[in-house]
Amino acid sequence: MRHDYEIAVGPIHPALKEPIMLRLTIEGEEIVDVDVIASQNHRGIEWIGMNRNNAIQSLYLAERICGICNFCHPSNLVMAIEEIADIEVPDRAQYIRVIQGELERIHSHLLWAGVAAHEIGFDSLLHYTWMVREKVMDVLEAVNGNRVTKAIIMYGGVRRDIDEEKAKLIRKMCSYYREAFNKLAKLFLEDDTIKKRTREIGILKYEDAMKLAAAGPTARASGVKKDVRQDFPYFAYPDFDVHAITPDKLLGYTVGDVYDRIVVRLLEVKQSLEIIEEALDNMPPGDIIAEKKLVKLMAKIKASEGEAVARYEAPRGEDIHYVMLKQGYEPLYSWKVRAPTYINILSWRPMLLGYQIADIPIIAASIDPCLSCTNRFAVVKDGEEKIINADYFHRLSIEKTRRLKK
Amino acid sequence: MAGGGGEKMNVDEAKQKFEEAGYETWITEKMAGVRNKAARKTLWVRVQKEKFREAMQFFKDMADQYPHFSIISCTDLGSNVELNYHFALGYGSHLEEYVVTFKVSLPKDDLEIDSITDIFPAVIYSEREIQEMMGVTVKNIPDGRHMFLTKDFPSGIYPWRRDESGVKETNKLYERWKDEA
Repeated sequence: MRHDYEIAVGPIHPALKEPIMLRLTIEGEEIVDVDVIASQNHRGIEWIGMNRNNAIQSLYLAERICGICNFCHPSNLVMAIEEIADIEVPDRAQYIRVIQGELERIHSHLLWAGVAAHEIGFDSLLHYTWMVREKVMDVLEAVNGNRVTKAIIMYGGVRRDIDEEKAKLIRKMCSYYREAFNKLAKLFLEDDTIKKRTREIGILKYEDAMKLAAAGPTARASGVKKDVRQDFPYFAYPDFDVHAITPDKLLGYTVGDVYDRIVVRLLEVKQSLEIIEEALDNMPPGDIIAEKKLVKLMAKIKASEGEAVARYEAPRGEDIHYVMLKQGYEPLYSWKVRAPTYINILSWRPMLLGYQIADIPIIAASIDPCLSCTNRFAVVKDGEEKIINADYFHRLSIEKTRRLKK
Repeated sequence: MAGGGGEKMNVDEAKQKFEEAGYETWITEKMAGVRNKAARKTLWVRVQKEKFREAMQFFKDMADQYPHFSIISCTDLGSNVELNYHFALGYGSHLEEYVVTFKVSLPKDDLEIDSITDIFPAVIYSEREIQEMMGVTVKNIPDGRHMFLTKDFPSGIYPWRRDESGVKETNKLYERWKDEA
């Protein structure tokens, strides 16, 4: 008997991370046009939240929108629903939320720094950065019981306390990072090869960043002093004097290139350490959750009606959720999720135009894209399309680094 | 880059300006912070479909800085579809930033709205998204291709709808290749 097997290949390359396609028009080595094609894989998460799940189930679904920022999305959903259902969060929980958010920022920025090093072919630095990153992952596991998808936030509070013992671990981690930071900063910011590959590359001008509504480190590296933690009150952040970090803080001037994006993210790691330590010092005592009984909580949410917008400064930029609840309707009546990459991919075009093919990996990675790395490109030559995969691009990028080293 | 060179204003002043221009507005808020309490505020502005572009231009001109576009959210309310254009204004002012949301209601038999990509270029992805997800036609959209749904997604099915054109059996939608094979 004959059996037919069907194997699906692409549009997501099995060896690569995320589904997105960039269509670039090239003239010689120079990029002259850029088109982003995102329609490779739609998971329908909003649909599930609006049709299948109840609000509490959607919280865990929101956590799975993105593995790296698994605290941001549920945080937004929680804030929107707390506003609609008028749930007051205990003070201690607000502080724990800040600590969780900052721990996540540290691991996300370090992860990105490693990826950036990898994209330009500096793999020893990738390994070093990710080794350093393990420290915060260990702490996340010790504090939450899991490295990712920690399920720590809940409507009206958090699910686990940070007691003295855990606080001690976090403090130890902070001093470890203070030491590691100097070494990392030296490696990333003073290395000649890295400078050559990132200085004056992938520039996003201040005007373009504003017009294209860039968010997070991508916007800040172009000199836009915008940070939700600084501007828009949420959690316990108003207690902390957060200031948006722009590259001129370290260098005295802003270029808006890939190098500046490295500067901003590294400085933000330091900023996160300061916020965490301050939060641990001033943590108020008391409850960590407003309503422990899930059935009661569910009933309260189900009886609420209204709409709200929640914003959160995720490591990659501003995260926004819009939620509408309807009395008696169990799922969310309306749910719109905007991850930072959604808006930041618009900036790829001005960043890429005029640069070389070999610069694509590092420029594309410089916005810290959540849905993709560079997966593959269609090159149009005399009207004929040729699809090239990311391995080839990665090789080109490494070759450019080697050329520059000579 | 400045918006239209308007003056810096807080949420109440912005509300007043919109009211003077004849728009229905209201503010929602929620407290945050522990030792230093501060409220996060959202300004809602209801706009008639006919005055939509005018309102957007008005908003851009009166703002002191380029309004930060966030997203368009979209809800099927039965006989009509409600669009929310979310913006943020006032970045850089410590804890004073607020959300400005424009609400436009479209009747189901006339699902059409003007594109505002010439005023706020960043809305393009969102406009493409509401076209494919809700079946709203965006007039004069410079690029009307699918955004997140695949090229071959069946026409006439809109995932965010709650009526007969919504997605009922998701699996079937993606198993059409079986019929074609």
